[in-house]
Amino acid sequence: MDHARIVFGLVALAAALALPYYAGPFWTGLATQMLIFGLLALSVDLLLGHAGLFSLTHASFFAVSAYTVAILQVRYGVSTALAAPAGICAGTLLALVFGLAVRTRGVYFILITIAFGFVVWGVAHRWSSFTGGDNGVTNVPFPALGGLAVTSHTQYYYLVLAAVVACGLGYRVLIRSPFGLGLRGIKASESRMRSLGFRTGLHLYAAFVLSGALASFAGVLYVYYNKFVNPVAASFPISVEAALMAIIGGTGTIIGPFIGSGIVLGLRNWVSSFFELHLAVMGAVFIAAVLWAPDGLVGLAGRLRARMERAKEAGRP
Amino acid sequence: MSAAALEVSALAKVFGGLAAVNGVELTVPAGERRVLIGPNGAGKTTLFHCITGTLAPSSGTIALFGRDVTRLPEHRRTALGMGRTFQITNVFPELTMAENLALAILGTDRRKWVMHRSLAAFAAVRRQALEGLERVGLAGRADEPVKRVSYGERRQLELALALNTSPKVLFLDEPCAGLSPAERQRISRMIAGLPRDITLLMIEHDMDVALGLADRVTVLHQGRVILEGTPDEVRANSEVRDVYFGHA
Ligand SMILES: Nc1ncnc2c1ncn2[C@@H]1O[C@H](COP(=O)(O)OP(=O)(O)OP(=O)(O)O)[C@@H](O)[C@H]1O
Ligand SMILES: [Mg+2]
Repeated sequence: MDHARIVFGLVALAAALALPYYAGPFWTGLATQMLIFGLLALSVDLLLGHAGLFSLTHASFFAVSAYTVAILQVRYGVSTALAAPAGICAGTLLALVFGLAVRTRGVYFILITIAFGFVVWGVAHRWSSFTGGDNGVTNVPFPALGGLAVTSHTQYYYLVLAAVVACGLGYRVLIRSPFGLGLRGIKASESRMRSLGFRTGLHLYAAFVLSGALASFAGVLYVYYNKFVNPVAASFPISVEAALMAIIGGTGTIIGPFIGSGIVLGLRNWVSSFFELHLAVMGAVFIAAVLWAPDGLVGLAGRLRARMERAKEAGRP
Repeated sequence: MSAAALEVSALAKVFGGLAAVNGVELTVPAGERRVLIGPNGAGKTTLFHCITGTLAPSSGTIALFGRDVTRLPEHRRTALGMGRTFQITNVFPELTMAENLALAILGTDRRKWVMHRSLAAFAAVRRQALEGLERVGLAGRADEPVKRVSYGERRQLELALALNTSPKVLFLDEPCAGLSPAERQRISRMIAGLPRDITLLMIEHDMDVALGLADRVTVLHQGRVILEGTPDEVRANSEVRDVYFGHA
C-alpha cells in the first residue's frame, strides 16, 4: 500500500513538473493558483481536520501577509528577501492575537473568527490611505533574490511548486509528531486530554499560530502571482472557500486540500461565464460533499477501494 | 507526621439549586485503598470531578500530599500525580490503541510539545505504550483503531490511560460498569494487583468487589459522607443498609 503511495506521488510530481510543457500558460496559471489556495486550505485544515476547530478567519492572515509584501515592495522598494519574511511575520503576529479565539469552542469559535475576519476586511477596505482602498496595491513585481529573479509565470509556477512540496513535507512531520497526535486527541476528547495532563488551550493556541503562519506564507505566494492585492483577499468568501476546499478534498489529509482547491477553482473558472451562479454552484458542491463524501474525495476513494477489496474477497471461492 | 495523600475539606458543588456535593470531608493516607459507595445520584462522580479538577467546586479545599491544589487547573493536578478514569468511557475512538496510550504517556512529559520529529522516532514511547497495553491484557491490539474494539476492551483501555500518567493517587469511577462477570473479575484482579504505593480511590457499586478491595470504605449519601470505616464496619451498619441496600 505504501508502495502505491510512493508511485502515485512520483507520478503526480512528474506530471506537475512537466505541466507547463503540455498544458500551456492558462492551465499553468490555474495550477499555480490551485497550489497557492491549496496551501491556504491546508493551513485551515491543520485546525479543522486535526484539532477540530472551524476557523473562518484565515483570509485575514493570507491578506495581511499579502498586503505587507505588496506595500513594502511597491511603496518602499524593499527587496523580496526582506518583504517576504516580513509578510509572514505580520500574518503570524495577527495569528498570535486572533489565536485568543481558542478560548471558545464550537459555534462561538466560528462566530468570533468570522468577526475577526470582518475587522481585517473592513480595515483593508476603509483605511484607503494605507491599503489603497478598493483598488488595493498594484504593480507587485515578481520575487527576486539577489541576482536570482523570477521573470515568467512558468518560472513562478516552479517556485510555488517547490515551496508547496517543502511545506507539504514539513506539514507531514508536524501532524505525525507528538504535538500533532495531541491535536487529534483534543479533537476526539478534550476532557480526556486535560485529565491526561495536556494544557489543551495552549496546545490549540500553538496550532492556531502555526496555521496562521502557513496561511501567511500562502499569502506571500499569492501576492507575487497575482501582482496586486485588494480587500477581496481578506474577504469572508475566501475563508469559506479555503475551508470548503479542505472539506471537499478530505480533511485530515495533506493531498485533500489541494484536490479540493483544484475542484473549487476549476468549477469557479468553468462557471465564471455565468458568474452569478458561482456561489450557488459552490453551495451545491458543498451539499453534495456533505451528503455523499463526508470525509471528502480522499475518504470516498478509500471507501471505494475498501469496497472493491471486499468484493474481491467475497468473489474468491 | 507526613501529609495525607488526599485531604478534602468542606467541599461543596452546587448545580443550580442542587447541592450534589455538600460539605464533604475526606482524608486518605498515602498507600490506602479507599472505596466510595453510595446510591445513584449520591454525588460520587461529582466529588471525583471536583477533586481532579474536571469541575470547579463551589467551595471547600483539596490538598494533594499537603499541597493545596484547589485552584490548580486539571492538567497541573495530573502533573502532580492525580490520575483518573471516567464512569462513562472517555477514550479516543478515532485513534489506535497504541496512540491512545502514547497520549497518556506524553501528557505528563515535555515531549508532548515536540513538533519536528515523527512520533514513530520515539521508540521508548512505543515500547512503553505496548507495555501499558499488555499490563491491562490488551497486548496484540496495539494498532487497532479503538472504534473497532469491544466495550470491554475500551474499559480496559480506560484503565490503561489512567495508569500511564504515572499517578500517585488514582481515581477509578466504576471501572467495572457495564462489564460481564468474567470481565469484571479480570479488571478487579488487575486493580487488586496494582502496586501498593499508588493511593487508590474507587467508586464501586458491586459490594463484593468494593468490600474485597477496600482498606476503608466511605459511604456517600445526598452529597454527604454518612459513614467511614472498615469493610466489616460498613457491612454491619444499619444506616448504610437502609440507604444503600434500600429495603433489602
Ligand atoms: N453537570 C450537572 N449539572 C446538573 N446536575 C448534575 C450535573 N452532574 C451531576 N448532577 C446531579 O448531581 C447529583 C449527583 O450526581 P453524580 O453523578 O455525582 O452521582 P453519582 O453518585 O456518581 O451517581 P451514579 O452512581 O449514578 O453514578 C445527581 O442528582 C445529578 O443529577
Ligand atoms: Mg457516578
